Amino acid sequence: MAFVIIPTMEPAVQEPGHSTHGQAAAPGPAPSSRRAGRWAARRAASDLPVGSRAWGRLTVGHLTLAAIALFSIFPVYWLFATAFRPTSDALSLSLIPQALSLENFRYVWNTIPMRDMLATTFVMALAIALGQLFVATLAAYGFAMWRFPGKKALYLLFIGSWLVPFQVTMIPNYLLVSRLGLLNTVAGVVIPQLCSAFAVLMLRQHMQAFPKELVHAAQVDGRSSLATLWRVIVPNMKPALAALGIMLFISAWNEYLWPTLILQKSTAVVQVGVRSFLSAEGNNWGAVMAAAGLACLPVFAIYLFLQRYVVDAFIRSGLK
Amino acid sequence: MFVTLDPAPPRAVPPHAPANGNDGLDPTDSGGRGPKGRRGPGQKDRGRRQPAARKSPAAEPAAPLASARAARRGRQHRGARVTPYLYVLPAVVLLVVWSYSPLAQTLYLSLFDWNLLPTSPKRFVGLENFAEALTLPQVGRALVNTLVYITALAGFSLALPLVIGLAAQQVRGRWKTFYQALIFVPFLLTPVATSAVWRWLWADEGGLITLVLRSLGLDVDHVFRDQSLAIVAIIAAVGWQLLGFGVLVIAAGLAGINPDYAAAASLDGAGWGRITWRLTLPLLSPTLVFLGLMTILLAAPWTFSLIDMITKGGPVDSTTNIYYILYQFGFQNFDSGLSAALGVLFFIAFGLVALGFVETTERLSFYDD
Repeated sequence: MAFVIIPTMEPAVQEPGHSTHGQAAAPGPAPSSRRAGRWAARRAASDLPVGSRAWGRLTVGHLTLAAIALFSIFPVYWLFATAFRPTSDALSLSLIPQALSLENFRYVWNTIPMRDMLATTFVMALAIALGQLFVATLAAYGFAMWRFPGKKALYLLFIGSWLVPFQVTMIPNYLLVSRLGLLNTVAGVVIPQLCSAFAVLMLRQHMQAFPKELVHAAQVDGRSSLATLWRVIVPNMKPALAALGIMLFISAWNEYLWPTLILQKSTAVVQVGVRSFLSAEGNNWGAVMAAAGLACLPVFAIYLFLQRYVVDAFIRSGLK
Repeated sequence: MFVTLDPAPPRAVPPHAPANGNDGLDPTDSGGRGPKGRRGPGQKDRGRRQPAARKSPAAEPAAPLASARAARRGRQHRGARVTPYLYVLPAVVLLVVWSYSPLAQTLYLSLFDWNLLPTSPKRFVGLENFAEALTLPQVGRALVNTLVYITALAGFSLALPLVIGLAAQQVRGRWKTFYQALIFVPFLLTPVATSAVWRWLWADEGGLITLVLRSLGLDVDHVFRDQSLAIVAIIAAVGWQLLGFGVLVIAAGLAGINPDYAAAASLDGAGWGRITWRLTLPLLSPTLVFLGLMTILLAAPWTFSLIDMITKGGPVDSTTNIYYILYQFGFQNFDSGLSAALGVLFFIAFGLVALGFVETTERLSFYDD
C-alpha cells in the first residue's frame, strides 16, 4: 500500500460542507470587496466583525507562521548547506557556507551509480503513478456513473483496504512476487501497487461532481461509455487528474519499505542505494547530505515549479 | 435522466430510446445527481402505481408508453449488467490479489511454523504463534511505543496545527501561501533524506541540535543510542514531517467555514474565544477527526522508515513499534508464523480503532448544512 499523502474525506463529510459553502459564499460580500482593496478583503474574509481591530492578532499570526516556517525549512536548508560545503569545512557551523563547492555531489555521483538509480526510480514512480491513475479512473467511472448490484459491497472493499496495514500483508505479497519471478525487478515493485484505493475514492468524488448534462449529450450522440469517458470526462478532468498524478508520483518516489524488500541489489533505486551509501559513509556528512539531497531532487523540482499548483491541488482535492 | 424526468414529458422518451439503448450507460443512475432518494423510490413507485393507473380511463394512452419504457429498461439493464463491472474489475482484481488474498494468507500462515524457505515444510502449530506473540516482552514494548508514537505525533499533526491555524487566521493572501509553502516542504522529503539530516542534526560531533543543547547546559551524546532519548529524537523527526500536512489540512478546513456564521455570532455579542469554541471548533470537527485517522494511518509508514534507517528498533527495543517488529520477525528472524499471528492481531485491533473512529465521527461531527 502506497501511503497516502493527500487528505480526502468520506463523501458524506465533504458534500454537505462543500455545497453549502459554495452556495452561501458565492453571493456573500467577500468576492466583490476583494477587488476593493487588500485591507477590506482581509477584514471581510476574517472571522471578525467588520471594523474590529485585527492588528494584534495579525502580528501574532505572522509571528507564529514565520516561526513554524523557519522550524520546517531549517533542516532542509541545513541539508543543502552542508552538501554544498567544501569537504575542508564539513564540520563548520557557520549558518551560511563560506565557500560553495560541488565536491560532495561529484563524489557521490562517482561513487554510486546515481544517474542510473535516479532514472530507475523515475521510471518506477512514473509507472506506479500512471498505472494507479488509469486503474482508478476506470473504477471511479464505474462507481460514479452506474448503479449495480453489489456496488456498495465493492465500494466498502476499497475503503476497507485502507485498514489493511502494509506490514500485515507483506509476507504473502513478497512470496507471490517471488513466485512470479519478479524479485529484483522494477515490475515486482510496480505491479502490487497498481491499485490505489485512495485514488479510486478521490476520482469517484470528482466524477460524481462532473456535470451530467455533458455525459448525456455524449450518450445522445451515440457514444459508447468508453468513448464518453475518454473523449468527454477525461479531457474535462485534466486538472484533477494531473494533481492526483503528481501526488501519486511523489508518494511512489518516496516509497521506502516495498522497494527495499523487493530490490535486493542496493543500486537499483534511489531509496535503497542512498540508504546503503549512508551507512557506508557514516560520518562523512557532506557526502551523506549530497546523496540525500539528490534523492529528493525530482520531488523538489516538481514542488519548485508547481508549488502553488501542488498546494492548491492538495487543498482542493482533499477538502473541497 | 429521461426516466427521472418522464412523469412530466412522456413524449420526449421514445425518440431518444434507441440512442439510449445502444449505450452502456444506465440513464437512471447517471441522470440523477438530484436529491438523494428521489430516484430509487420513484422508480419503484411507478411500478407499483401502474396497475392502479391503468384502471382509470384517463391514463389509458400512457399504458403502451409505460410498457415500452419497461421493455427499454429491461434492455438497458442487460447492457448495464456487465458494463460497470468491467470498469471496476481491474481495480477489484488488483485489490483482491494484492490486499485481501494476502490478508487471508496471513491468517493461514499464522497457524504454521515456517521459515519462509520454499523448500522447507510448514508445520501446523495451531494457536501457538498467537500465544507466543502475546507473551513476548518485545511485543508489549512495541505496543506501548506505538501508543507513544501515535499520541506524540497527534500533537504534531493535530494539536499544534490547530493552534497555528487559529493563531494565523488573520494572515491571508500571499503571505499565508508563502508560509504554507515552506511549512509543507518537509512533507515532501524522502525518508532517506529525513533520516540523514536528522542524524546529522543530532550528531555527536558537529550536530547542530547537540551543540545548541550543550551550550544550554544539557549534555546529550549519542541520542540514538540512548534508551530514553532515541524515541524522542525519532518523534521529533517524524513530527517535523507531519506538521506541514496538519497545518495545510487545518487551514483548508478553516477556509471552508463560512465567515457569515462568525459575523452573525459577533453581531450577537460573541467574542473571539466564544466563536472559536462554539462555532469554529464544532465546524472543524470533521477535519479534526480526519486528521486523527490520518495520524494513525501515517504514523506507521513514516516512523517505520526512520526506525529502520536510524535505530533499527534499538537500543534495547526502545524505539521499536508494532510494524517494525512485524518486519523483524518476518524478514530478519524468518519466523513467518509469529509475524503473521501478530499481523492478524494488529489487523483486528486496527479495525476496532477504525470502527471507533466511525462511531466518533457520527457522534461528534457537526456539518455545515
